[in-house]
Amino acid sequence: MTDGAISRSFTLDGLREGVLGVRVLIPGTAMFGMAFGVMAKAAGLGVWEAVLLSAWVNAGGAQMATLQAWADPVPLLAVVLTTLAMNARYLLLGAALRPWFGGLPAGQSYPSLFVLGDANCAMGLRRHADGRSDAAFILGSGFVLWLVWVAATAAGHAFGQVLGDPRRLGIDFLLGAFFAAMAADWLGRRGNLLPFGVGVASAIAIDRWLGAPWSILIGASLGALVAAITWREEAGDGPAT
Amino acid sequence: MDLRPDVLLAILLLGVASYACRAGGFFLMRYVAITPRVEACLRAIPVALVGAILGPVAARGGPPEWAGLAVVLLGMRLTGNELVSTIAAVAVVAGGRALGL
Repeated sequence: MTDGAISRSFTLDGLREGVLGVRVLIPGTAMFGMAFGVMAKAAGLGVWEAVLLSAWVNAGGAQMATLQAWADPVPLLAVVLTTLAMNARYLLLGAALRPWFGGLPAGQSYPSLFVLGDANCAMGLRRHADGRSDAAFILGSGFVLWLVWVAATAAGHAFGQVLGDPRRLGIDFLLGAFFAAMAADWLGRRGNLLPFGVGVASAIAIDRWLGAPWSILIGASLGALVAAITWREEAGDGPAT
Repeated sequence: MDLRPDVLLAILLLGVASYACRAGGFFLMRYVAITPRVEACLRAIPVALVGAILGPVAARGGPPEWAGLAVVLLGMRLTGNELVSTIAAVAVVAGGRALGL
């Protein structure tokens, strides 16, 4: 995947390239963040709680998935397991960065990983393969997206405040709609249909007697287990999101 | 400023869990390689998770929710735009509920 060299450079120029290079992703991130803010308000989070969540967790898909399990008081085990499940793919992104980031001091690589996301990771790896290996690109691009994500969460929460009854407006369906859009994107890739189908079927069955979040967690585990068992040499371009 | 202790604790733990995923793969690659089967499993987790979220949404929903899901899939096929597809679906659900479906 990466033909570029191991990086020893981590410069202000690289940081600036990251900040500028990620501009195209700002509108999409802002919209996603707004939607999260609206949903967080509907799930009962206060504005500072929602902003703090976005700033500290910084993972859109996982944050949305935890809202599905959110209640008062918060079911800690369920939301942590949901976050781990949604973010398991970051293990792969981090691993993919090893050849590029492996030579950096920990004081540069580990802070960069805090703002690592699907989009800036893909961008950075493409640049690295092209021989532009300044590692500060990830920190610069990730920082911009982080700022946009946090600000958009606050804006979305404020917008949710002026909206009326979430159920009447279909806001409670927004979460399902977002995940359906994500699924439509992922299902085009080979090997994704089976874990998706197992997840759907087992969650519907479990939902009848255990309800959320266990239907979600058990469904996700069974789907992933089946994918691991049925894996064959030639199969599997997974999700890239 | 209204911050509840259980919510704060949840936020703290979720952030730690997220960073552990981001840094964990990078850290572990120093010591072990990820086998293709493990990689297939890790890639499948979010896909199965999304399926497990959507299954009960469809099963518990009625005609407005089913129409909403169909609109998202159609919108993604026609436009490929998540935001457009999502907002159209929410509008359909709100409309369906207003009609008392």
